[in-house]
Amino acid sequence: MHIAEGFLPPAHAVAWGAAAAPFVVHGARSLIREVREHPESTLLLGASGAFTFVLSALKLPSVTGSCSHPTGTGLGAILFRPPVMAVLGTITLLFQALLLAHGGLTTLGANVFSMAVVGPWAGYGVYRLLRRTGVPLMTAVFFGAFAADLSTYCVTSVQLALAFPDPGSGFVGALGKFGSIFAVTQIPLAVSEGLLTVLVMRMLVQSSKGELTRLGVLVTTAAGRKPAEPAGAVTR
Amino acid sequence: MLPIDAAAHSSRWRRRHPVDKAVLGLGLTVLAVSLPPWPGAALVLVTALVVLLGPAGVPARRLWRAYRVPLGFCVTGALTLLVQVGGEGGWVSPAGDGPLRAGELLLRTSAASLGVLLFAFTTPLSDLLPRLVRAGVPAPLVDVALVTYRMSFLLLDSVRRVRQAQAARLGHTTRAATWRSLGGLGATAFVRSFDRAARLQSGLAGRGYDGTLRVLVPEARVSVRFTALSVALLGALAALTLVLEGPLS
Repeated sequence: MHIAEGFLPPAHAVAWGAAAAPFVVHGARSLIREVREHPESTLLLGASGAFTFVLSALKLPSVTGSCSHPTGTGLGAILFRPPVMAVLGTITLLFQALLLAHGGLTTLGANVFSMAVVGPWAGYGVYRLLRRTGVPLMTAVFFGAFAADLSTYCVTSVQLALAFPDPGSGFVGALGKFGSIFAVTQIPLAVSEGLLTVLVMRMLVQSSKGELTRLGVLVTTAAGRKPAEPAGAVTR
Repeated sequence: MLPIDAAAHSSRWRRRHPVDKAVLGLGLTVLAVSLPPWPGAALVLVTALVVLLGPAGVPARRLWRAYRVPLGFCVTGALTLLVQVGGEGGWVSPAGDGPLRAGELLLRTSAASLGVLLFAFTTPLSDLLPRLVRAGVPAPLVDVALVTYRMSFLLLDSVRRVRQAQAARLGHTTRAATWRSLGGLGATAFVRSFDRAARLQSGLAGRGYDGTLRVLVPEARVSVRFTALSVALLGALAALTLVLEGPLS
């Protein structure tokens, strides 16, 4: 769920846009460099953007019985890295605002900051940390996707609490109110997104080793060494 | 095709230059967020609605279907303004000015959403994206956005068909089967997107692909008359708000 059009006061909308801009510019620069060096990457990056867009349109059954949509930022960050996700996430959010009326243009900066910057970095950070400590791939993927989803909505709650402080208890009270609606209710959905991401990754490991190796998620072993999981490849 | 984009392709204003529609639609959005909600946002809301259903010719049913999405978020968010945490009234109590703040927020978001919907319902992204290069957006970024846009519809169609096939094979009968099907759906989307990218690459390479995607953009000129009328309308709305703000508040 993204912050709707016009929901934030103008000063907040501009401030969040300014906060997200350096990450998007950094991602855009690396993307442009990649495209200039390897023109064929345009198509692969476009396909990755389309995948992110479609992933966010899948209906996800929540463990509470309701239905929602995954953010796709965790899987996207693990597959394409956070800087690229900042750009792909921005494109996806722009498309969602203009094609689906989800989010908005004045709130694009705030939504980019939560969903295309904090979510991917938090998810990728948790994933990398767990992998370095020797946690199995699928466990790390689950917690990475869980962290990406939940952190996105925690940041959304902070953004809303800053814009609409509670008359009685200020920012803290407002954070409690918005958090209980947009973040606490998101916990079962974050679990659902984690489970979905594990299922997708399991199937990708079985069916798309080549693509995963090209993306750096799987690293092929040197000849003669006993491969770690899955057979023939070790995971990053 | 997604309903808003489909409506934009068959819009009465399809042949107008995106700048014309951006000045009017996004101008209304800027007014909605920057003017006082009462009476500013209310005036913008009525104006946007009249333009959408009148000159722009957007079907009311389609507009409602798109409009209820942001409205759901706005209502949920506005509900939190009705109560306050802590203070003299106890742990949770009704906020004194809660209904006023919630009402103002609803007015502002509703009006701002209609402004963007006016632009979205009349401007296909395929008309807008290639023109972004002239606006200073780097061409490689626009190319990636264009490929994303075009591939999204193919992928959405593939996903819909796979979902139908899964349902026909009783893939959604139990919770476990639903999860399995959903995982397969996500993986299939990934595999197909990369497969399409590879095939597109082969096809373009055979036609001398040099890294830039050249697409034909329908010719359109910025209408000075339309833009001037839009600016005049926006100015009149701002002036009317300032005049009415005192007597109505």
